[in-house]
Amino acid sequence: MTEEHLDRMVRDADPYRPDVIGRLEGAKQALLEEIMSEPTLDRVAEAPQPRSRARRGLVRRLAGPLTAAAALVGLIAVSTMFGAPPGDRQAAPGGTSAGPTAGPATSVVYSPVALKAAEQNPRLLIDEPGWRVITVYGFAEKQGTIAFGKGGRQFDMNWYPADQYDGYHADRRHVSAPEAVKVDGWDGDLFRYSSDDFAVMLRPRDGVFVELRAGGGNRTEFDRTLTHVVRVDVRTWLAALPPEIVTPARVEERATVVLADIPLPPDFDKAALAGLGTNDAYQFGAQVTSRIGCAWIAEWQRAKRAGDDAALRRAADALRSSHNWKVLHQMKDEGDWPEVFWETADKVVAGDVPRGYDQALGCG
Amino acid sequence: MSSGTEHEERFRRVYAADFGPLLAYALRRVAQPEDAADVVAETFLVAWRRRRDLPADGEARLWLYGVARRVLANHHRGGVRRQRLGERLRQRITAVIGGDPGSEVPERLAIRAALTRLGELDREVLLLTVWEGLEPREAAEVLRVSPAAVRTRLSRARARLRELVGDDLGRPGHVLDVVTAPAPKEGR
Repeated sequence: MTEEHLDRMVRDADPYRPDVIGRLEGAKQALLEEIMSEPTLDRVAEAPQPRSRARRGLVRRLAGPLTAAAALVGLIAVSTMFGAPPGDRQAAPGGTSAGPTAGPATSVVYSPVALKAAEQNPRLLIDEPGWRVITVYGFAEKQGTIAFGKGGRQFDMNWYPADQYDGYHADRRHVSAPEAVKVDGWDGDLFRYSSDDFAVMLRPRDGVFVELRAGGGNRTEFDRTLTHVVRVDVRTWLAALPPEIVTPARVEERATVVLADIPLPPDFDKAALAGLGTNDAYQFGAQVTSRIGCAWIAEWQRAKRAGDDAALRRAADALRSSHNWKVLHQMKDEGDWPEVFWETADKVVAGDVPRGYDQALGCG
Repeated sequence: MSSGTEHEERFRRVYAADFGPLLAYALRRVAQPEDAADVVAETFLVAWRRRRDLPADGEARLWLYGVARRVLANHHRGGVRRQRLGERLRQRITAVIGGDPGSEVPERLAIRAALTRLGELDREVLLLTVWEGLEPREAAEVLRVSPAAVRTRLSRARARLRELVGDDLGRPGHVLDVVTAPAPKEGR
């Protein structure tokens, strides 16, 4: 038996099947998020990073180096426009709430898509003056984030599918012993990451569970804020989102603006953008340009394989033109998405599709 | 961009690039496929906590294999599945792979059974070479031994395996012992 023959037999005995990796259905990203949510010594050693939690969620769908992507505090100075919700519960106007777009929610007609998307999230608001919605994204799935800011404080609400509750809860029990609390009459467990960093996991409801988290304040402040967290109906919730937030009802209008100077890849389905759910402007821009970038790179690869020089040139020109896309320039100061996009696009144009580009741009 | 952010980004890049190879490594070395989720989760958790020590991109994989190897040692020693991280990954792996060695062909089982009878280091050298596709110098880095030792071990492992499977192919014997986890050894 030759060495080669022996090695081949060993190789044949390999229990690993490469197709496993393609069938994980997001478990890879879920694990990444779990790991990066783990508190480490850095949290203590470094200055508080109140954005860190919200940042995690972005990783879920746009897995590239987007760490600064959600660093929007103070950059999107939006006001939470609480109108006059039709429900019993009235979310209080933010301290800065004012402006021509603030009006009674009942006057707004929401599309069925918008209403359905809003139904699929927990619709929790902070019913206390001064809190502003600063980040929203991920509403198209049973996972998402809404972050509120007030002064230097931030309060995040992240939610996940209910079937992941046990796993998360088991993990959080390694953080601290759970302490029973109630939020708007709903049971939850409070975990303590440090003396000024707390999280509350609410029991699953309607197929999702919510984790509330706030850093930068003491326990008394956290408890007090919790007493103001309320669950509202769909219309109230949508009305509470400032006009900058791209709700499904606003997708078409915003997409038209974003796509105005972007060459569309072959077969690009603009209508599919309605499925992006509700996002702030930055997240929306990232989601849209992600789809476009991924499609152009795929087209570039196809053309290359096929030896279709004209198509190859078109794809390269489109990717190169990304340096002039208005939306990316608007996003530049708020996070690293444009940088990552341009870096990847430049490499592809230069003939080198970087390894892991699909992760970096969230293709998939 | 702060250095903390750079470390986070590097971690993400390493995770994106090396998750697959690490999962393969883990799946090849655990008795139950879903246990691989624990090994992968634990290994990347260590990498996350030590992200400042992560070697440069492209070199991280060997470092991760080294970490995974130690995680596996603890895993086998502990004999319990940790329920800390990667629950979803565990569920998916179970769903995708299942765990029925009965569906395997006898030759594979025979080879795997023979592999369990090699010395641990010999087996690791051979598997890192054939399954993970590492060069001797890379396997040496994972195992923290000299490249010369790896070459010697590799040659010995092949000779020993050849002896073990020799003419017995087709008569696998103890198929129930077909695990890729290290077999208990004397004096261990």
